[in-house]
Amino acid sequence: MRQARLGPRGGAALWAGKLTALMSRALHVGGGTTLPGDVSRWVDRRILTKLAAGLDGGSIVVSGTNGKTTTSALIRHILDSQGRPAIANQAGANLIFGVTAALVDRASWSGALPASIGVFEIDEASLPLLVTETGPRVIVVTNLFRDQLDRYGELETTAAHLRRALTQGPEGVTAVLNADDPMVAALGEDLPRVTYAGVEAPELLQPQLSHGADAKFCPRCGSPFIFEGVYFGHVGHYRCPRGDFERPTPEIAVTALEIDGIDEMRLTVRAGSESAAVRVPLSGLYNVYNVVLALAATRAIGVPLREAAGTLGNFAPAFGRLEKVAVEGRPAVLLLGKNPTGFNEVLRTAIQFGKGRYFLLALNDRIADGQDVSWIWDVDFESLKGVAQHVVLTGDRALDLAVRLKYAEVPGDRIEVVTGWEEALSRAAQATPEGETLFILPTYTAMLELRAVLTRQGTLTPYWR
Amino acid sequence: MAQPPLRIGHLYAEEMNIYGDRGNILTLSKRAGWRGIDVRVEPIGRGPSPDLAEYDLLFWGGGQDRDQELVFADANEHKLASIKEAVAQGSVVLAVCGGYQLLGAYYVTAERQRLPGLGLVDLHTEPGARRNIGNVLIDVPGLGLEPPTLVGFENHSGRTYLGANVEPLGRVVKGAGNNGKDGTEGVRAGNIFGTYLHGSLLPKNPHFADLLILRALARRAPTELAPLDMSVELDAHQALVRRLTG
Ligand SMILES: [Zn+2]
Repeated sequence: MRQARLGPRGGAALWAGKLTALMSRALHVGGGTTLPGDVSRWVDRRILTKLAAGLDGGSIVVSGTNGKTTTSALIRHILDSQGRPAIANQAGANLIFGVTAALVDRASWSGALPASIGVFEIDEASLPLLVTETGPRVIVVTNLFRDQLDRYGELETTAAHLRRALTQGPEGVTAVLNADDPMVAALGEDLPRVTYAGVEAPELLQPQLSHGADAKFCPRCGSPFIFEGVYFGHVGHYRCPRGDFERPTPEIAVTALEIDGIDEMRLTVRAGSESAAVRVPLSGLYNVYNVVLALAATRAIGVPLREAAGTLGNFAPAFGRLEKVAVEGRPAVLLLGKNPTGFNEVLRTAIQFGKGRYFLLALNDRIADGQDVSWIWDVDFESLKGVAQHVVLTGDRALDLAVRLKYAEVPGDRIEVVTGWEEALSRAAQATPEGETLFILPTYTAMLELRAVLTRQGTLTPYWR
Repeated sequence: MAQPPLRIGHLYAEEMNIYGDRGNILTLSKRAGWRGIDVRVEPIGRGPSPDLAEYDLLFWGGGQDRDQELVFADANEHKLASIKEAVAQGSVVLAVCGGYQLLGAYYVTAERQRLPGLGLVDLHTEPGARRNIGNVLIDVPGLGLEPPTLVGFENHSGRTYLGANVEPLGRVVKGAGNNGKDGTEGVRAGNIFGTYLHGSLLPKNPHFADLLILRALARRAPTELAPLDMSVELDAHQALVRRLTG
């Protein structure tokens, strides 16, 4: 047990937060994941710094557009297997309040923490504040894609947040950066300690940049990058034609990979002269990056590559990320998609690796989803044409999806718009014949709604405690 | 007689495409294609311009601030004369968000930098204190649209002001529109259309897409458009109208 030095104000903040958590649980309001954080910070705005100081092993923070939740979950899984369980914020509660709430929740009433290390996923805009308040040992940046423009402003703004956070990190902090995302790699240029992670599997590079790819121009001179190819989105092997910026050689890299449906993938990961085989129950190229970044992060705090790699065989996917459920007896997979690149990748995983032919697509336009649904026009729903046998559309903006699929030339008689979450799940399950899997691709709040139905039906357990 | 192809020039397709502008291009090309009209869409990037009067319809969308500066400079250096010629020859212009701002005399950035626009229409854009973000509904009288409304999503900090003799595209029913004050949204001047509406604009406003296609084709020869079923599109349109007026 480690005792944080909270002082009277900090102690009051901790109690206020913990009482809030108790009450919200007793009243069954779902705000348990962030509200205690708000309350604690209101009482003592240094509460996070005080509590985080009790983490002797420091913390690892994960930021970036996509992959935060899965990368953090992989890191926690590795640490758990090492006998070093971590304190972590709940998936989705990734603002500063969510991190504060996690520490308030896990600390004892006297401020003692049951673990010595923290793993926090954090929204890009909140990263600078989190770094200032907690002084992490490792900062992981997964990738940088066009996200919800109405919420975050533009990609350049997001990159500026990340740059600021990385340059103001404490002495000795290691940045773990995705070498294959040009905008992320560019963040490492003037940093003292950087580990680049990437993929060296040129046979999997695809020639075309998909629609909505974002980082096309050299950050130094503005020339269009020359892409040898991409693994997905704008993540791949690139260089500036003028030679003033190129992909850094990854220090830790996936050198071979085999994806077996949606159940498992097998990777070879190299770091210097070390090499390790990984089997992990995940699928999709975007998850290959989550794995290599998690291995790089744990390696940065001294977990040997092979030991870390050996633990991943029994990893359980984070909620909504390749989560396997049953809907009225039919096997189904939940694949969260939040932005064009993310949605393209889950579609590709469902179709290419999952051989999916039956779908439920759910589009909401609430604040956490992005209120602007323009982004669906940058998703390659064209890949459903000729593949999809039946597609149920639901959510606040199901009719926009119907228009999108019409222009992707998915035949209208295979599309059904269904109002109501329960009804949509039921209809989609009924339309999925025996022997087939239903692929459920929702936006964030649509996923929460669908999971709530599945929880009521007894297929799932609630994600907040 | 074979129908001449519809030639669409997508200006700055790489630099200005952040608000689902692909949806606009897709709607134009599919709606023409489904009627048996041959469609060619060509991206036009930075640098010396092809002859833009060759295109029946010129489209450009919105970009990030940094890219927008590049585009303003490039447009003035390389594209201005050619765009003016295209407009004189009846080409249809649709400009959304950043592209719309570029139509005017000038655009003042949030950093108070004054970027000269193309000056095709008497309008200018000033920075605003906060961004106008949200769904928009406008009434569009006088273009023969049925229903006489357009729906979309706006996201802009610029406040656009129209000159005294310039007609807006429509009147704001819900949302901020050009500047949040005078109730105007967008601009129309002959075959030039500018607007802040994306979301994407044309998929949920198929009647407006058809108007643009018709005018673009009519430039070469008198034309009629075969009717197309647009119930899926208008369902989405009306659902948003109901939500914004309900
Ligand atoms: Zn360069």
